[in-house]
Amino acid sequence: MRVWTLLILCSILGIGCSKREAVMVSGSSTVLPIVSKAADRFRMQHTDMNVVVNAGGSGVGIKQVGEGKIDIGMASRALTPLEHEKYRAVHLNVRTLALDAVVPAVSSEVYDAGVKHLTLAQIGQIYKGEIDNWKEVGGPDREILVIDKEKARGTRHVFMALVLGDKEAEAPGADLVLGSNNEEQTAIVQSNAAIGMLSHAWLNAGVKGLAIDVNGNVIQPTRENIENGTFPITRGLFVITRGEPVGVTKLFVDYLLGAEGQTIVEASGYVSVR
Amino acid sequence: MFLSAKIGKGYVVTCAMISAMLIVVILCFLAANSWQAFSQVGLGLFGWTWNPPKGQFGMLPMIYGSLAVTVIALGIAFPLGIATAVFTSEMLSATVRVYAKSFLELLAGIPSIVYGLMGVAFLSVFVQDVFVLLSGRTILTGGILLSIMILPTVITLCDDAMHHIPMSYREAARGLGLYKYEVVKDVVLPAAKMDILGALLLALGRVLGETMAVMLVIGSLDKIPTPFWNVLAPGQTITSKLGREMAEAAFGSLHFEAMIAMALILLFFVLTLTVVSLTYFYNPEGRLYE
Repeated sequence: MRVWTLLILCSILGIGCSKREAVMVSGSSTVLPIVSKAADRFRMQHTDMNVVVNAGGSGVGIKQVGEGKIDIGMASRALTPLEHEKYRAVHLNVRTLALDAVVPAVSSEVYDAGVKHLTLAQIGQIYKGEIDNWKEVGGPDREILVIDKEKARGTRHVFMALVLGDKEAEAPGADLVLGSNNEEQTAIVQSNAAIGMLSHAWLNAGVKGLAIDVNGNVIQPTRENIENGTFPITRGLFVITRGEPVGVTKLFVDYLLGAEGQTIVEASGYVSVR
Repeated sequence: MFLSAKIGKGYVVTCAMISAMLIVVILCFLAANSWQAFSQVGLGLFGWTWNPPKGQFGMLPMIYGSLAVTVIALGIAFPLGIATAVFTSEMLSATVRVYAKSFLELLAGIPSIVYGLMGVAFLSVFVQDVFVLLSGRTILTGGILLSIMILPTVITLCDDAMHHIPMSYREAARGLGLYKYEVVKDVVLPAAKMDILGALLLALGRVLGETMAVMLVIGSLDKIPTPFWNVLAPGQTITSKLGREMAEAAFGSLHFEAMIAMALILLFFVLTLTVVSLTYFYNPEGRLYE
């Protein structure tokens, strides 16, 4: 009797310990939807392997993969010179997974009231606090709720580099500082006077993307304009490994960049690189 | 028999030492990792602007935010909590009281992220509508949410405090002709004062240390509102700042050390408040009953 109990206990322990080979992924919440969906499919095809995906922002992803805490970092911006310098010894390998645009996003109430496009200068003035009412840019007479992002977020880097000319620029006009795309999207939906910065794929009925006015040409944030690069704030989405990926990590990276992975990219609302 | 008693004693003492060591180790870790910030930034730590890329590490907005939410949360939770505890301890029958208490303790076990999400989905929208604000993510929202989170703890501890007062006290007071509310006001509450203070300190610790829920509803703007009593503006607490920025600061950088310095200051707040309240209120003979 006792022996049997012992045996059963041992076998339970044994099952618990036969660990699947796991790939740890972390970083940009913009890249997250693609990778987590791909991870689901990948796990179904390779039952002996596991992929664990976390968010945290591009800065966090790059830092953790540089320090070797994770296997793959997700980033929605290029590495800064400082990061290049810091992780020179580990040879970060950056691959482009998809193309995306950072779109100035507003509450649908503002969009419907007539604000359909802005110039980069106007957006800059809003973030500097020089414009604080929608009526100054042809909208309703309503104060603007300016939503900023945490400093290390990739979306903010890309957006601020174009709008204020410096990727780490202060935004004295900001009313809220939020983190992930999800948080930002919720805040814009909950307000009737908000502006924020969102990835193209996160726009929906309550969160409308504005077109950007470049010298009188109004450029819509459409697929075509992202693909051919005419929309001013386009960017690549990257997966980063330490050196050339090997083993399960390589298998997963190849899956992401392969036909199936790129189908998921398109299905998630981003533009495939193939 | 003798041996087992010795082992038992040794075990208990070891456990106590481990617990005591933990706080010392944490203090040492925080001090060692924030030393650079104190020596290099110095008084700059108590400035108004936080901008790591430019080397500005002013943490006054965060300190202000932490104090503001504490005042709001305790200001709401204490009157409510003590009144509720009077009800459960003095007016409910013993059986109902047990059920009511278990139910309240259940509330204390809800993960803070759940409170945070409910705060974003309902409370902040409510605050936004009631006060006609641009955004409902304000210091007040954070304070209200925290008061809801500590309420179960406050109620159940205050209830215990009052329930422990012997029945003979109440009977004697009634015998002197006091009304029921006078019994509570003049006998039960004063006698339970020490334990109620203990409840206050525990709640205070939770308010100052709570991260996730506050982070989601407070707006995370590193600014002291103008005028400073305008709690209907977004703000930032020490913990929400740490929660948002800790992961992105490189270990050992000045940025990281400045964040640790903030954590150290938070710990000092709690310690100071505990020591001050104990010296002012602690009275070994204060507990009349045994």
